[in-house]
Order: sequence, then C-alpha cells, then structure tokens
Amino acid sequence: MTAIPETTPAVPVAAEHDAARTRRRAERRRRLRRDRALLIMTVPAVLLLVVFNYVPMFGAATAFQNYSIYAGFMHSPWVGLETFRQLFADPLFWGALENTVVLSLVQLVLFFPVPIALAVLLNSIMSGKVRTIVQSVVYLPHFFSWVLAVTIFQEMLGGAGALNTALRQHGLATWNIMTDPGTFKYLITSQVVWKEAGWGIIVFLAALAAIDQNLYEAAAADGAGRWRRMWHITLPGIRGVVVLMLVLRLGNVLTVGFEQMLIQRGAVGRDAAEVLDTYAYYYGVVNANFSLGAAASLFKGVFSLIVILAANKIAHLAGEDGLYRR
Amino acid sequence: MSQPLDRRRFLGMAGLGAVAVAGGALIAGCGDAKTSSGPGTTNKDQLQLLLPAYVAAATGIKPDIPSVQGTNGFFSDAVFLSYPANPVTTSTGVPGKGGSYTATTPLWGAIPSSSGNAYYDAVNKALGATIKLQPADGSNYDKVLPTLFAGDKLPDWIQIPSWNMGLLGFADAVNKFADLGPYLSGDAVKAYPNLAAVPTAAWQCCIWNGKLYGLPVYYGGATFNGMLMYRKDIFDKEGINADEINTPDALAALGKQLTNAAAGRWAFDDLYGYLNNVFKFPADPNRWIIDSSGKILHRYETPGIVEALTWQQSMAKAGYIHPDALADKSQDAKQRFWSGKVVVTGDGAGAWAGDDAKSGQAANPTYNRQAFKIFAADGKPEVLMNPSAGMYSFLNAKLSADQVKECLAVANYLAAPYGSAEWLTVNYGTAGTDYTIVGGNPVLTERGNKEVATTYQFLITPLTSTTVKAGFTQVTKDYAAWQGEMVKYAVKPAFYGMNITEPAQYAKLTQPVEDAIKDVRYGRKPISAFQDAVKTWQSQGGNALRAFYEDIRQKYGTGQ
Amino acid sequence: MTASALTATSRRRAARPNWEEPPTPAGQAGKATVLLVVVAVVIVPLYMVVLTSLSTQGAVNRAGGMVLVPHGLTVEAYRQIFTNQLVMHSLLVSLGITVVGTVISMVVTVLCAYGLSRQNSYAHRPILMILVVTMFFSGGLIPTFLVVSALGGYDNYWSLILPGAVSVFNILVMRAFFAGTAQELIDAASIDGASDWRTLRSVVLPTSRAVVAVISLFYAVGYWNTFFNALLYLPDNQKWPLQMVIYTYTLQGNSMPGTGVTNTGQYYGHQQVAALAIQMAVVTLTLIPILVIYPFVQRHFTKGVLLGAVKG
Repeated sequence: MTAIPETTPAVPVAAEHDAARTRRRAERRRRLRRDRALLIMTVPAVLLLVVFNYVPMFGAATAFQNYSIYAGFMHSPWVGLETFRQLFADPLFWGALENTVVLSLVQLVLFFPVPIALAVLLNSIMSGKVRTIVQSVVYLPHFFSWVLAVTIFQEMLGGAGALNTALRQHGLATWNIMTDPGTFKYLITSQVVWKEAGWGIIVFLAALAAIDQNLYEAAAADGAGRWRRMWHITLPGIRGVVVLMLVLRLGNVLTVGFEQMLIQRGAVGRDAAEVLDTYAYYYGVVNANFSLGAAASLFKGVFSLIVILAANKIAHLAGEDGLYRR
Repeated sequence: MSQPLDRRRFLGMAGLGAVAVAGGALIAGCGDAKTSSGPGTTNKDQLQLLLPAYVAAATGIKPDIPSVQGTNGFFSDAVFLSYPANPVTTSTGVPGKGGSYTATTPLWGAIPSSSGNAYYDAVNKALGATIKLQPADGSNYDKVLPTLFAGDKLPDWIQIPSWNMGLLGFADAVNKFADLGPYLSGDAVKAYPNLAAVPTAAWQCCIWNGKLYGLPVYYGGATFNGMLMYRKDIFDKEGINADEINTPDALAALGKQLTNAAAGRWAFDDLYGYLNNVFKFPADPNRWIIDSSGKILHRYETPGIVEALTWQQSMAKAGYIHPDALADKSQDAKQRFWSGKVVVTGDGAGAWAGDDAKSGQAANPTYNRQAFKIFAADGKPEVLMNPSAGMYSFLNAKLSADQVKECLAVANYLAAPYGSAEWLTVNYGTAGTDYTIVGGNPVLTERGNKEVATTYQFLITPLTSTTVKAGFTQVTKDYAAWQGEMVKYAVKPAFYGMNITEPAQYAKLTQPVEDAIKDVRYGRKPISAFQDAVKTWQSQGGNALRAFYEDIRQKYGTGQ
Repeated sequence: MTASALTATSRRRAARPNWEEPPTPAGQAGKATVLLVVVAVVIVPLYMVVLTSLSTQGAVNRAGGMVLVPHGLTVEAYRQIFTNQLVMHSLLVSLGITVVGTVISMVVTVLCAYGLSRQNSYAHRPILMILVVTMFFSGGLIPTFLVVSALGGYDNYWSLILPGAVSVFNILVMRAFFAGTAQELIDAASIDGASDWRTLRSVVLPTSRAVVAVISLFYAVGYWNTFFNALLYLPDNQKWPLQMVIYTYTLQGNSMPGTGVTNTGQYYGHQQVAALAIQMAVVTLTLIPILVIYPFVQRHFTKGVLLGAVKG
C-alpha cells in the first residue's frame, strides 16, 4: 500500500471533503484491483452457499406462517409472531432453554480443555511408537453412533452393568448414574469427552506441529525448563486456534446434542434431558407443526449469531483474531 | 447416523394411529386432517355405500385349525401347520398388462439388491407387470415422507404406516391419491375376488374424507397391542403355575420370588404397555372409554391407569424391574427375555413365534415363551381391540383409470390367501432357487434370504394366518390355543373404527402427560406428578376434547 | 524443506533433541497413567464391539447383550453382509462420492480460505459474514429439498456432493492456518512478482501440509459417512452409498407392532445370526476405512516441518 501525498491545506473545506472522498474511492478501487484474484478465489464457495444455503432460507418464513406442506409457502396463512408468542409462553420451552445453556456451559468447562490438554500431552511424548498407538485408537469413538455409545455406557455403568454387578457381588450399594437426573449433566459431559475428545485433538496436533522447533531450542538455551517452555511457546503457539475453536463453540452454545438426549430422555426424565432440539422435535416435528420447528430454529440462529459476534468482539479485545481480523 | 425410535415408544409419545389430529370436527378415515380441505362426515349409510362387498373366499383352502369366532365379531387367525401340498391358483391368467410402476414401501431390515434379483423377476413375471420396488429405511420413513409430498415426488404406489400419518396432515395428503371407490365400492369389488375376501372391518379403516383411498396391509381378525408373557422353563424350575396368576397381587408376588439381582435376574421388564387389559384402560391407539355412568373418559382419566402406574412403581421401587428397562431401553427387551435376565415381559403377539423360539433356545434349549391367560383386576377379563390394519397403501392420483385397474388386478394377485400358489410366489419366490419345503413349510434358501424381504407384502396382504416358523410347530399350536381363548374376551373400545380426527391444537398436550407417565412408572416421581399432569391436560384442552367427543357420540354413536 | 530433509527429521524423531531434559520419573508415571486410562477406555468398548460381531446368538444370550468373554464364535454376520450384492456395489458408490467430493470440497475450501486470509483484503469481512451466517441459519429440511429437487438433484448422485460441499467450519480453520504463514515468505514472493495464485501454489500450500491433510480427512470422513442426503434424494436402492445399505442391516430383527412381522427371514442350513452381532459387524466395518486412512494423515503432523507460528 503506497502512501498518498498530502495536499496543502490551502484548498477550501468542502472541496477537501470531496478530495478525501475521491481519495478513498480511488483507494478502494486500488485495493479491489489488487485483491481481484483473492476475491475470485472466494467465488466458488460463496456460490455454493448461496444456492444451497441462502436460497432455501426462504423456508425460515414458515416461522411466521401456519405452514402446511400441501398449501406450500405460497398459500399457507400468515400468523405473524403468534408462533413465537406461543413458544415464549410455554414454560417447557424455557426449561429446555435452561437445560441447553447449563449443559453447554458444563461442557465448555469440562470438555473443551480436554482435547487441548491431550494434544499437548501427546506432543510431549518422545516415543514415536507410543504416540502412534495412542493416536490411532483415541479417535475411534467419534465413529460410533450415539445409540452404540449410550449402549456401551449402559453396559458398563448401568444398573445391571459391569460396575454395578461387581458392586452387588461384594455387597456394596449400587451407583445408578445412568438414571439419575441430578448428575445427568456430568454423565452427558463424560459421554461427550469419551466420544469426541480423541477426534478433537486432531486440529490441535496440526497446530502444534506448526510451531517452530527452533523456538524451543532457543528457549532451552536461555535456561527455560519444560514448564516455562510450555507456557511461553507451546500454549501461545496454539492460542490462535484455541481461540477460534472457543469462539465457534460459543456460537454453538444452543446445540448440545440431539440424539444423545433423545436416547436418554426416557431414562432420566424430561426435566433433566429436554434441550431445545428435542423440544422442537417433540412439539414441532412429531406433530407436523413445522412452524414451531422453524420458529425454534430461527430463535436459535439469532441467539447464536449474537453470541458468536460478542465472543469474537471479546477475542479482539483480548488481542486475538478470533474468527477474523479486525 | 440417525437412529430408529422404538415404534412402540413413538406411538406412545404422540398417540397416533386410528385417532389422529385435525382442524375441525369431522369423521374421516384413519388419518389426520390438519387444514381445511373440507372433508365431509361419513355417516353409517354413506359408509355402507362406500364399503366394498364382502364375499368369503371360495378357494377350498382348509386350515389345520380353523378360526375361532370370538365376541363382538372378532375372530382368531386360521392356523396352518404346514403349507398345502398342492397349492391352488386362485386367480386366472396374468393380472398385469405389461405396465411399469414405481412403489415405495418402508423396510425394517437389509435391503435386497434390485438388479439380478431372481425373486423380483419371478414375481414381476407372474404379475405380468413391472413393479419397481424402492424400499426405504423404515426407521427414517418419517423424514422421507414429508419431502415426497412437499416436493411432489410421490411414486405410483406408496405404503404409509398409520403411525406416520400424524406427520402428514392426512386429510390433505389423501388428495394426492387415487379414489378407489369407483373401482371397489359395493359390488364393483367382485371383479377382484381376493379383494372381496378382505373383511369389512379392514376396509372401514381405509376411508378418508368420505372416499375409499387405501388398501389395507397386515390386517387380522383380532388385532390388539400385546400381552404379558413369561418364561415357562423358569416358572417350572421355580415351581410356579402360571394359571394361578390371575390377579395383580399374584403377579406382584412373583417379583420377590423371581428377583435375584446379584445373580443378574429380575422378575419384570417394563410391563406398563401391557397392563392395560389387567387394569382396564385403553392402550394406544385407543384413547377413550365410556364408564359405567355413561361419562366419556380419556385413558389418562381412568382409575385403571392410576392403579397400573401405582402397581408398576411399587415394583420398580422394590427393585423387581430390570434396571435397563427402567432406563427406557425397550429395544433390548427381547434380548433380556432370551437371556433370562427378566422372567416376565410384555410384547406384541408377533413375538410368540418360531423365530423367537429359535433365538431364545440358542443358549438354552429349554427356553419356552408362553403368555399368561387374560386376567383383570376386577375379575372380569376383557381385551380391548385395535383397528384391524396398521398400514395402508395408496395409488397415485396421477394414474389413469386403466393404470389403476391394472394395479388393482396386481393387488388382487398379491392378496391371494395363505395356502395358494400365488402366496408362495409373492412371499417366498421360486421353488428351489429362493425356497425349499422343509418339514412341510417353506424355508428360504441362502439366496432367498438375500433376495426376499418384506416388499410386495407391504402393498397388500391377505388375512393374517398363524403359521409355523423355523420348524417350531408346538409354539404355533400354543399360540393358536391361546388366541382362541383370548378372542372370547374381545371388546370394542369407545369410538371403535370410527376414525375420528381431533382438532390439531390438542396434539401437543399429550407429550407432558406421557413424560409424567414415564417418570412415575420408572419410579422417579410419585403418582401425584401424573395426576397433576392430567389436571393440566384437562384444563388446557382435555375437557374441550371431551366435549368434542360428546358431540360425536350424539351424532354418530360410539362404534359398538 | 526438501523431501529428504523431511524424512530425516522424522527418522530422528525418536531421539531426544539435545536441548530437552530427560523426563522425571513422576512425570513419566503421570503421563503413562493418563495414556493408559485413555487407551483402555477406548480399547475395551472396541473389543466388545468386535467380539460381539463375531459371536453366535448363543453367546449373546449368555452375555445378555454385548459380549465380554468369548463363548461361541462365527463370522456369519460378516458373511451375510458381504455376500449381499448391494453392499459391494454401494462400496463403489461411496468410494466415488468420497473421492470426487473431497477433491471438489478441497479445491473450493483452499481457494476460499486463502482468499480470505490476507490482512485487509478487499471485502473479506463481509464475505466472512456471509459464510458465518450459514452456520446458524438454515431454511430447514423441506426448503432445501425443494431447491435441490428443482435443480434436478432428485435421484442423482450430485445431490450427495454439492449441497454439502462447503463446510464453513473447515474454511475457517484452514483460513486461520493460512493467515499464520510467515509474512516474510509471502512478501518475498510478491517482491518476486508472484500473483496470488502463484503465492498460494508455491509458498502457502507446501508449508500447510498438516492443515490440508486434516481438512481433507474431515471432508473425506463426511462424504464417506453420507447418510441423510442419500435417504432424502436417492429412492433407487442401486444408487445407495455404503452407509445407507449397511445401516439397514442394523434394523434386522426389529418387528413392527401390530403386524407380528419380523424381518429376520429364516433360512435353511445356516446358523441364525444374532441381530446384535450384525449391528456390531456394521459398526466394525464402519471403522475400517478410517483406521486405514488415518495413519496417512498423521504423518503430516511431524514437528518442525512448517515454518512460522499459527496465528488467529
């Protein structure tokens, strides 16, 4: 970017504004020409998104209609904010929202750091063999369906499962973790950790691999021990990716797993297990009330967008780039 | 990967089936009317005009144990211990005229390949028409159906289970289907002898908006939700005589006797879904009863459901119910029973069959499933019946009259009765290639097992018969005897077969009550939680719904 | 870095660099415990899944569910799956979809990620917003279905690829890595007169092997497991990808209420397969491709290959 030479202030103010505007426009056109190639590179992705994501978004209008698949979008009657009014007047909706937010925060605190810690741990292992063995199995639960995951938990921790059978045989009291509404949030989080932590390390492993090894050597030469090296090189090295993941996770605060809750809703009761997605399912989809589903979706979308923009702003304030640079 | 919901739970959740949801008071078919396509009511006279005439099959096929006539017009299935040696051909000539049709049916099982499938080829050849079967994943059928309707991608012939109809606003959905009245009503059906042999009760369910749209699938003479069953081999070892278990207290006493948690055995599975006949309250899809004072009660309001929930809860709290059942793992219930982890369970009648015996005996040759005799808390046993058919197939409205006639001729072939040559072709394919006769009954070969799945059968079937599976003749005899006894107690619940469509705004009220029922029956909350939920249901719409039904009773009676 | 230098680095990986001090016994014990727990918690269920897939109905009955101690073994479940003609055909379909889809997605993603990664580039923030909004708002099942059908996607293979070809999450991750490429390299390239295309190809991509490998893996896994789009858009079973076909095997043995019909099918001569064994066989088969592919991706995680730290 070349600097624009200053004009002398002998010119009148209005003309100066015009000149400034012309300068800005020229500046913009210059940047446009310079970045033409970059813009062209984004075209395929944007085009696909416009066709397959933005065009169907007219469907969000069903949140304001009493939608019937036979009348279609054109002929379904409009009801304005009525569906939202019904939604917000329903105490079950607020219960679901509360559960969703609580579960999300618990997972944020107890799950989010785990892949990072695991990746850093693996990174510090010298033996290539150990690293390979661990890395080649730890992600596998990601590929199990939730039904299988819950079945395995039931087999291990259920009332008739391995743990409780052993307890019974030794005359000890059983631990009914799988049907306890009180500890449900921790059960859910431990299930997510088991299933997803291993897969989550992949991005962080890639980030760790990108850290310049010379930095470590230089720090060691300066006398920094292993913990100081981790604090000053490793963690800052992956900070950008961590913040990006955090912002994205916050953006998904209202999504805590649909299938996982659906499968276990009967085991712990609706009070503990209802989240927004299951609420929309039971009161929307099952009763063919597409409008309710669309309204819940729209609510989620608006809420999430606000949260992610706020999170990104906070990241900027902390000096990080988050989703995109300032 | 998306996961199937257990069908039973699904039904329980939304209370679908014959009684569905609609916008406006009207009497239509076993379906759903969400918007206002102006369905008319169907009174008895109009119904008579629409229903196809009934002409009993004159094929000369004789079952080994004939059907037992029960009360109120219900009857047990005819029993065949072996397939007739020289099966008759009930239809003359080839039904089809070379037409080609696409058909979509759900399937709960491995999908057979459609190219190089000798079974498809054989049946299509026998039909004289090409039915291009496109089985869809049964557990995700509810996601596929709305898109087919909304996107106008309906095939020529589609099958829809009753539990998926609530999703579709069925009174409007039927406008996409061909009206079969002109071809089948009254004496017109006599052109199709096998269709004329379909009992009137089954046809009654196929009427929506005053028109005949559907072909019934897997209908029987006495369809009901299921019964309580037990492991006779374990009872024998423990010295228990099942005939003595004829009160809820006697059943409860088994809890203590049979439970040994340390050894991994519990007395009961989740029995709630099958306690309805013991405690006298309707199970899905029936919902209403008329009590002795003539008042219309929803099943949530009956004293019976409170008794049942209280009974089950005390069993749960005492530790007599298997923990996985209390964790709502109903899909593993059969495995628990086969493994002997539970001794008393409940299941649909289809579970008592040779396939079940084969699985159960895999580890324990003495495995023996039997059903309790029907008993009730008040000493007067009754079995509430369900609508005759659970699934229906429909022809696309875009088909021409000739095409409809060709499809009905094909349906006539597919509805050939058990014991005929056609039935064998449709259900087992070609002799030698796809099946062989073992012990008098057809058994699929290895190739047949890959090629033959439930496909054509989902379009239309003949009246259900009880047959021998996997060579277990005694199981068939036991079940047949039990069913013969059971039909003596068969009763019609209130508004039976009337296919009433309820106003749409009441649909979502049932979910909180169903959730409360689960909380109570698994021992999480006291019975008062259920009663509170019912009070809320009543004030938010239950009472209005009762007034709606009162209106119907005045005008159309109660279907008795 | 040249290829030979890379392999030299990886071969030397096993040896400790001079500047790194040897681990303390407590540290080693701690690490070992954690890793042991992590591996055990994954291996035990995996073992149960594989063992159950190889178990007879009798063994499953004895165990009452998933099998921990082997009692009766059979490969019947796998035999039933593999001798189904539809399974073999769907394997080819899935391979095709995965390869074509991953290539298309990677091209689109790499281009878009690079296009958005340069500081102060024209309109990069509005474009980013366009991308991010799609992560939170969608038209829903039916509107998307209508659009894809209107474009001719019904009963067509491309409906499995194009609607999901762009993952904004993947673009954002790749963008973050690209943005972290050392500015000196890029400046050097532009001084040499290289265009953005050239810079991408010759400077940024070679130093971004890890993230390219990772994102390719993510896309490939997504396409391989494609299920929902196949459910909606492919009525013809012959066109089904592998996941759809073998998923239907897991429904074997379910009965529909009111019909008394079970889809087990019983046939003569062979041992009846436990429904649970088939379900576990399906799970095991799902794991095999990723077990094969992952080591190739992992190779790119060697340290010190890349230059420059990763910035946001």
